[in-house]
Amino acid sequence: MAFDWLTRFHHSSEKPANYAEKTLAAYRLGMKGKGSIAGVVVEPAEDCCEAARELVGKVYHPDEAPELPLRNCSRGKQCRCVYRPRMTYQQSNEA
Amino acid sequence: MNSMVQVLGRIPLFKSYRRFGWPRLLPLNLTLSPSPKCNSRCLTCNIWMKRENELTIDEWDKVLASLGQAPYWFTISGGEPLMYPHVVELAQSAYKHCKPGVINIPTNAILPSIPDRVERIAKSCPESQLIINLSLDGVGKKHDFIRGIPGNFEKFEERLRELLSLRKQLPNLTVGIHSVVSVFSVGHLDELIAYADKSGADQFITEIAEPRVELDTVGLPITPTADAYKRAIDSLIGYVESKQFRGMAKFTEAFRIEYYKLVKNILTEQDQVIDCYAGWVSAQIYADGTVWPCCVRADDLGNLRDHHYDFKEIWFGEKIKEARRSIAAKECHCPLANASYTNMLHDIPTLARVSARVLRPELPSRQPGLSGSPTTASQE
Repeated sequence: MAFDWLTRFHHSSEKPANYAEKTLAAYRLGMKGKGSIAGVVVEPAEDCCEAARELVGKVYHPDEAPELPLRNCSRGKQCRCVYRPRMTYQQSNEA
Repeated sequence: MNSMVQVLGRIPLFKSYRRFGWPRLLPLNLTLSPSPKCNSRCLTCNIWMKRENELTIDEWDKVLASLGQAPYWFTISGGEPLMYPHVVELAQSAYKHCKPGVINIPTNAILPSIPDRVERIAKSCPESQLIINLSLDGVGKKHDFIRGIPGNFEKFEERLRELLSLRKQLPNLTVGIHSVVSVFSVGHLDELIAYADKSGADQFITEIAEPRVELDTVGLPITPTADAYKRAIDSLIGYVESKQFRGMAKFTEAFRIEYYKLVKNILTEQDQVIDCYAGWVSAQIYADGTVWPCCVRADDLGNLRDHHYDFKEIWFGEKIKEARRSIAAKECHCPLANASYTNMLHDIPTLARVSARVLRPELPSRQPGLSGSPTTASQE
């Protein structure tokens, strides 16, 4: 993929204190505003903890998504796991 | 008023600035994003769902005053920039303080108030070239599907007619059509070229859909494959080459062909290909006052509210050094059109190829390009 560097860059950026609150609020509005967002997923870092790894593949409503960084994450603001939107066209491609 | 000659004169200085850190210069090319709010629901963009503590127009005025007459090229982006309630005042403030050669505004062409706002900007910034690029990602219902708004294509045609009519009275207005080449549109680029050719617009420009932090599209599969893009863009290059352009349009079309070829190389080589000057020559100010080197990486270089609204404090400060190091070390690469055109202007081999193309003898078999001849360099 030509943009793998950007995915890595995004994962390695330090998270602001309100990362989860602000990001999930955006996806919440995205769903309410009738965009193509079907939900939110957690994309764990390659070297993430076991708890984060267990979240792979689950699509959440923003109200129910786990808060990042996860409570016991040893990296704190340096946590490399990120939220991603789940788009309707991605779901239909998989169906 | 900033002129293209002054811009060309600054090229060696910027090359020195990037390499040696001296002389210190403010950017030539600045993108202002006053609000992420947008009334489109594009498959390729999620910026519309963001909400920010936006700079007020008074705060923007202070920021623009701090820039002096350094910027030649302003892009007012969004969200939908012509939906931003103070867009006219923002353009006027940029004009008053910076005297830019070009003010470039993309639009989704939905709101009926767009022509009035464009007219007010064009009339109050008479010595700047105002470029309005209307977004078009498909013809008819294909456009509505990609943009997520039923009836959008009909509105696009209505706004295009209105703006083309306005152009007759406003000599500093250029009206273009802008298409995003994504996985959703790459298959019908030929149709878009044919539509643009007959539309009466001054220019047809395209930009590849690439993930951006700004748009919250990182990781989404919106970029066409290198092969699919190459097939589509070769048609566009063939179209441009079949046309005959005069004056500045000949120059801008030669640059455009170089841009399309550059994108193909970036996708294939997954490298910067030519040096990137984002963070030296180009920059972006986001709605909440955060300064970024570009909207793809969106590194937080500092917030103008924390720096007395003085752009220079951030631009010549400490925090930007790490972003510049990373960009110079080619830790990123992307085909962002806005930065790419600036980069090409600072690349000697590209300038040599553009010059050769401009000086090439004209063939009698070529047809005139689009309806008009844009009088300034275009930049998506």
